[in-house]
Parts: sequence; structure tokens; C-alpha cells
Amino acid sequence: MTDTSIDRSAAVGFTTSGRILGIARRSPTFAIGFAIVTAFAFVAIFADLISPYGAIETFSRQVLQPPGVEFFFGADGNGMDVFSRVMYGARYAFGIAVPAATLMLLIGVPLGLVAGYKGGVLDEVVLRIMDVLRSFPSIVLALAVVSATGQSLINVILVIGFLDAPIFARLVRSEVLALRSSGFIESAVAAGNPTWRILFVHLMPNAIRGSTAMIAVRMAWAVRISATLAFIGVGIQAPTPEWGAMIRQGAEFVISGEWWVALFPGAALVGIVLGFNLLGDGLQDLLDPRRKATGK
Amino acid sequence: MSLLEVRNLHTHFVSHDLNNRSRIAKGLNGVSFEVDKGEIVGIVGETGAGKSLTAMSIMGLLQPPARIVEGSVRFDGNELVGLGVDDLNRIRGTELTMIVQSPLTSLDPLSRVGKQLVRAQREHRNMSSDAAWRAGADMLATVGIPDAERRMRAWPHELSGGMAQRILIALALINGPRMLIADEPTTGLDVTVQAQILDLLKNLVRDRDMAAMIITHDLGVVAHYCTRMCVMFAGSIIEMGPVRQVFNDPRHPYTQALISSTPKRIAEKGYSQIGGPPPNLYDLPEGCHYRDRCSRAADLCRTTPPLKNVGGNHVAMCHFADKEAADGTVTSHG
Amino acid sequence: MVVPILLGITFLTFMLVRIGDQNPVAMLGGPMADEVTFAVIEKELGLDKPFFVQFGIYLGNLVQGDLGESWQSSERVADEIRNRLPASLELLVFSVLLGALVGVPVGLRSAQRPNGLFDQVSRFVSLFGFSVPTYWIALMSIFVFFFLLRWAPPPMGRLDIASFPPPDLTGSYFIDSVLTGNWTTAWSALGQLTLPVILFSIIVAAPIIKHTRAISLEVLASDYVRYARAQGLRPRTVRRVALRNAITPILTFIGTELTGLLAAVSLLELIFAWGGLGQWGLNAILLGDFAAVQGYVLVLAVFSVAIFIVLDLLVLLLEPRATLRP
Repeated sequence: MTDTSIDRSAAVGFTTSGRILGIARRSPTFAIGFAIVTAFAFVAIFADLISPYGAIETFSRQVLQPPGVEFFFGADGNGMDVFSRVMYGARYAFGIAVPAATLMLLIGVPLGLVAGYKGGVLDEVVLRIMDVLRSFPSIVLALAVVSATGQSLINVILVIGFLDAPIFARLVRSEVLALRSSGFIESAVAAGNPTWRILFVHLMPNAIRGSTAMIAVRMAWAVRISATLAFIGVGIQAPTPEWGAMIRQGAEFVISGEWWVALFPGAALVGIVLGFNLLGDGLQDLLDPRRKATGK
Repeated sequence: MSLLEVRNLHTHFVSHDLNNRSRIAKGLNGVSFEVDKGEIVGIVGETGAGKSLTAMSIMGLLQPPARIVEGSVRFDGNELVGLGVDDLNRIRGTELTMIVQSPLTSLDPLSRVGKQLVRAQREHRNMSSDAAWRAGADMLATVGIPDAERRMRAWPHELSGGMAQRILIALALINGPRMLIADEPTTGLDVTVQAQILDLLKNLVRDRDMAAMIITHDLGVVAHYCTRMCVMFAGSIIEMGPVRQVFNDPRHPYTQALISSTPKRIAEKGYSQIGGPPPNLYDLPEGCHYRDRCSRAADLCRTTPPLKNVGGNHVAMCHFADKEAADGTVTSHG
Repeated sequence: MVVPILLGITFLTFMLVRIGDQNPVAMLGGPMADEVTFAVIEKELGLDKPFFVQFGIYLGNLVQGDLGESWQSSERVADEIRNRLPASLELLVFSVLLGALVGVPVGLRSAQRPNGLFDQVSRFVSLFGFSVPTYWIALMSIFVFFFLLRWAPPPMGRLDIASFPPPDLTGSYFIDSVLTGNWTTAWSALGQLTLPVILFSIIVAAPIIKHTRAISLEVLASDYVRYARAQGLRPRTVRRVALRNAITPILTFIGTELTGLLAAVSLLELIFAWGGLGQWGLNAILLGDFAAVQGYVLVLAVFSVAIFIVLDLLVLLLEPRATLRP
């Protein structure tokens, strides 16, 4: 068997590491955000291997022990190790953010494509629905729906996915409106492509480009809002190691000085949300052809 | 000493490529020319040749990442390059003024026309609002705007393109400047309006004994309104001289191609038209920047061509400028 | 235009609350209740009628100003709202004022020297404001400023234990105490206000900084600013032109942010035991208190709509290009 692979590493700038460095230099924001998110993802995936204790493993005699060698982040009111729980919490963060984001796209993108392309009544209806949803503070809506439909993880994901779908619908719709009369679409139509093909093969890849940064931002939002719901007491209950629920438990102890129960899950939240936000900002820097005048 | 003297002006842009390395686009590469009182000099060239950039550089309106890296701009003997903002503002808007390509978006959307005229005056000298207002209304009438008093109260978005351009002209002339720079003053205007605006400009400049510089890509404008012309390509002036002379006897291959692109001239002179991709300002060829597009390029063209005098005030930047025969063939004399 | 949206929201809420699995009838009845009691309670709550009839009755009452009764507290919803709204507004208004007064100048200054040190720092701070959950930073601040440093008072509402609310003039305890010369009460109110207002104003300021900066950059790069410079106008004048053109989009942005803030402040209300509308509303949602939830959502919606109307008017005033649309 002869080796017919071409040694590409000789070409400057085409090596993987060369490309990564190039991207990092172009947008440090993206690089940092990506690093943070990847770190959290790593923790989420390998939590079983790297966490010192189980997620709901209790040590009833070390309730509320301060951070130390035994429990890095201290123990909470039930005697569970905060450090391990924070690590497992990463699973919930991604477990909500990723499906929710997928759902947002699955609903929002086709809606936006169709509304933008076909226009007319469908467009109006979609716009009106989006207006109504937009004038609603999403927290309240999410809260109302989740408490009405039952306290489960799936419901939380569904609600977030549905609530943010209009954002993508709107973004995609405006892209479609701009692209609709462009040359390559017109020639696709003239070539006799069926509508569904035009929508998904021709329009979608281009229309979605502008939404990539928004995906990261919405994932940040999904994590935030699910944590907020858990904090209020809806959707996810103790003893699940979800960060919002952990902060809820920690709230009681703040006044009496056991700060660690609430601090660390919150810090993790801040970290991952920051990571996603930086990722989104960075993506925008990278994909936006108009570089800022000062060239950074 | 001429009113405006531009010597060896180099303006560069710094940007960052895909790997975040700095790249320099050489927008202007040693531009030199003069404008005297009473002259109307036309600057022509294709997009990206550096015409507007010249105007911006002269007026000190460059924003990062563009900057002047070398060269001098003297107005009435005063060096403008490197001048502080306050000193520059004493000259800009008073002695040396400008009108631009997009009049409708260049007027402050939140001030009425009259207020902008008053502001242009009171920023530069002590005047009462009333006096400035009256002067403004008078100027509107001078630039051919009917019902001037009412127009003074108009908002910019209520104006048509032609009217807005007249107002820019009014703004440019209200402080009695000695020179006016017009950067593509008629782009975007209706054809009939274009002629009106240009006639207006020509008359006003002549009546006030001003100098003027018209930047355009339209050779017809240069032919009808300018006394001298400069042809720009890739950031350099490749031919310069009295309009009539350059039109009748272009010496640089680029100028020849430009002029021959009107049907009449093709019939008359038979010059070959050579188009081609615009030069990459990040990566200009060594020597003559035009040689990649030139049909007569030779080995000699790898060195920078000098500005050869081909008669009177007519110069061209080509090794073979003076070896041109009238029918366009080159007789090489070694 | 406005009415259909409000109607839509009311309907949506009505539906949402009723399809939930909370059963107020069971809760009111208690464990010993029997079928008859249930039926009586149902009748009282009007739950025995078909869905649309219930909605119709609700709307009818609504128009007369009757928002129903909270089954949880047996108070009239309208009363509850009236009692609690000022508390939320006090917190909201002070925070927004502080947030905007700090955020806008910071954003403007950042735009003047993009990527300079000030800009980088402010963008970083702003990013943090975006990423930090309100309730968590509130808890941490309580820990640091109350528990550790004893600078802040205990987070137990709008006044400390020793003070009584001042006469009701504006609804704001602080302003009312000042207006009536109750200095001790004013001081107490101020103390209680400090921590939540500072926290919330940071949350408010973050998006303001980001968008003010973006808008300013756009304005500074515009044709008319460039032409103003070409006219030789003084830098101060050029800045003034830019500012006036930037202010309308900035104010519009703050307004749209505002619509979501009344709900966002509810979390802070919970933590600081503020007794405001949000705290009450959140509880109502959790318990499935129909009338209360509807009332709460309605207030939020009306608030949003009112802000949009005010914004439209503001734009009409400031922008010569705006026209009344039919």
C-alpha cells in the first residue's frame, strides 16, 4: 500500500497549529472564549474521572465544612462536596445549553427562511407573534410556562428553545430578505430549483452565517436562565448538582457566613457565561468582513 | 509660489490580514502637483487610484488606519502636514474648502440648513447670528436656490441631491475661500443637474478668482471645465498637463487607454484599449506600477519611470513617453 | 396596535395559568375537604365555567378596573399591585438613573479612543456585567458588605426595623421622607437602597456601555461628522454634532432595555425582601394564583407598552426625520 498522502505541513500557514495561531491573533476574544468553553466541556465530560467525590455523596458529619484540603470548595448544608458538585454541574450547563440551542435553530431557522422568502401573510403572522413574544420579559414567560407545565429538565430545555427561536427567526429572515434578490438566488430560481431546495441548499448556509455569533450568546443565556429558574425553585430541584439550585441552597447560609456554598457554583456560572459571551463576540469579530477602522 | 503645492505625498493604510499580520496599502506614492490661483485642475483616474485620498490628505481628514507617511502639502506657503487641529481649522472651511460626493449624508441631519450656514461662519469669525443668517440666505441665492429664506429653515432630509450639493457649495464659499476642492461633486446627481452644478462651480470660481481642484472619474467633466489635468493611477500621477494638450496627445499608455475609451476617439486615433484588474495596493509591482497592464511593457519598466517632460507643462511618467509617435507606435532608440 | 398585543398577552397568560397542574381548589379546600366543598370553591373562583366564558368575564371586569382577587391572600389584585408597584419602581428608577448616568459617558468615552486602555477596561467591566447573575452577585455582596464589613444594613426590606414608612407622596420611601423632613427614615431608606441599587445599576449599565460605544463609533465614522471636520469646525463643535446624533438611538436603546428590567428586578426583590411587585408576582406564579399572575403579567405588559409609546413620542420630538405613521 503506497502512501499517497501529501505532506501539507510544509505549507506555511496551512498547518493546524498555524491556523489556530492565526485565528487567535485575529481575535483573542474568540481564543479566550473558546478556551474557557472547552475547559468547561472537558470538565463536564470527564467529571466522573476527575471529581474527588460523587455528585450526591453525603458526608453527614462534615456538614458546612469550610474549604480545605478535604473539600476544596467546602461542603454544603447536606454534607456534599461543593467542588465535585460544581464539576458535575457543568454537565447540566451543557446539557441544557446545547439541546436548547439546537431547538432554537430547528424552530427559528426554517421559520425565518420561509417568512423571509415567501413574505405575505405568513410573514406578517410570524412577525406579530415575534412582537408579542418580544414585549414579554422572557424570565417571566419562562417561569410561567415551566411552573405550569411541570418541574422537569426537559421542560426547561423546551421552554428556552421555544422562547429564543424568534430571535433566530428574525435574524435569518432579514438575511433572507437581503439575499432574496441577489444574483445567485435568481439564477437558482431560473434553473428551476424547487422552493425547498432554494431555501435549504442555497439560502440557508448564507443566511445562517450571521447567526453564528448569536448561537453562542443564546447558549450563555440558556445557562443563565435555567440557573435563574432553578434558583427561584422551578424546573430543577435539589439535590441535583445544578449550579442555580446550588446557589439557592447557598443563599440561606450567606447571612450566617458560610459563603462557599453559594460562591463557587456562581463563579462557575459566571465563568461559563463569560466564556460563551467571549466566544460570541469573537465569532462576530472573525466573521464580520468589516474590520473596525483601528484594525483590531 | 503656487497657492497649493503638494510634494511627494505618500499616504499609507495599515490593516491586518487573516493571520493578523500588518499589511500596508500604499494609497499615495509620491504625489506632486500644484494649483495656482485662477486654475481649475482636474484629477482623474479609476476607482482606487487615489483621487479622493489626495483630497483627504490635503484637508487633513485622514482617519486611522490611514496616515501620511511622507511628503508636504503647502497652502499659501504654510505647511499643512503635521499641523495641529486648531491651526488646521483656521484654514479649513475658510481659505481652503471642500465639497464631497454625497451631499445628502454630509449635512448634519439634526440641524436646519440655515443653522449650518450660520455655524460655518460663526465658528471662524465674530459675527452676529442675524448677520450670519442674512449672509447665508444671500449665499443660497447666489448658488441658485430659489426661495432662499424658506430653504434656510429646511431640514437636510427634505432636500434633493442637487439642492444639497448647492448647499454644500454655499457652505464652502460662505467664508470667501481661496481654493475649493470638489471631490466627485456630481456623482449620484441627475445628468441635467450635473451640468448645472458644474457650470455654477466654474462661474463662481472664476468670479471670485479662486483656485479649484475637481476630482472626477468622468473625462468629459475634465474636458469641459478644467484648465489643467492630472491622471492618477495606483497612487501616482502618471500624466499631467494642460487639458487640451493631454487630450490631443496623451503620452502615457494608461492615459491613452482612458481617452480612447470614448467611441469617437477610437475612431479617430485608433488607440488600443487596455483594461485590466485594478492594481493591488498592498503589493504593487516594482518599477512602473502600470506594467502589468501595459501592452508596451519592456524590461526597462522594472525600474521606476521618471516624469518626462513632453512639451510645455505636459509631463508623463513613462520610459517611452517621449518616444511616442502620433500613431501610437513606439520607436525604440535604445 | 397596542390593544391586540395586550390582548394577546392577557390571553396567553390566562391560558398558561390554567393548563398548569396547580390546583388552587385543592389547596384552598385543604385535606379534609370533600366534593361539595370543592364544588363550592370552584364556583366561587369561577372555575366551573367554560374557558372562554371565564376569559370573557375577566376582560369585562378588567375594563372596570377589577383585576380579581388573589386566592392566596384574599386581597384584591388591584390593591396588591397598587401597594407593591411603587417599591419596585423606586428600586428600578434609581438603578436605571445611576446605570445610565454612568454607562452613557463611559460608552462615549470608549468610542473616542477605541481599543485604548479606557476602552479595554470598560469593555471588560461591561462583559462582566453581562455574565454575572444578579442574584448571585447580590448574595456575594451581602456577604461581603453586610456580614464581613458591616457596612450595609441587613437585607430585610426597604426600611430597618425601627422605622415607619413616611406619608405616601411619590411612593418612594426615600423621596417621601426627604420631602416631609423625616431625616432618620430617609437615612434608613437610603441605607436599604444602597446595595441593591448599586448592584442593579451595574447590571443596567453593562448593555448601555456596549451599545453606546457601538452607536458612537458609527456616528463618529459618518459622512456628516467627517464633513463637519472638513468645514474646519472646532473639535468641540464636531463632538456636539456627533453627540446630538447619537443620543436618540442611545435613548431608544435604554428604553427597550427598560421594558425587561421591571421583571429582572424581581430577583433582587426576592433577595433583599423588598416587598415589591416582582417578589409578589414570582410567588404567585409558583403557587398558581391565577388572578395574581394575570395581574402581574398585565402590569409588566402595560409597562412595556407605555415605555414604547413614550419612546415613540421622544423620537418624534428629537428627530426631524420622524413622522407620525397612520
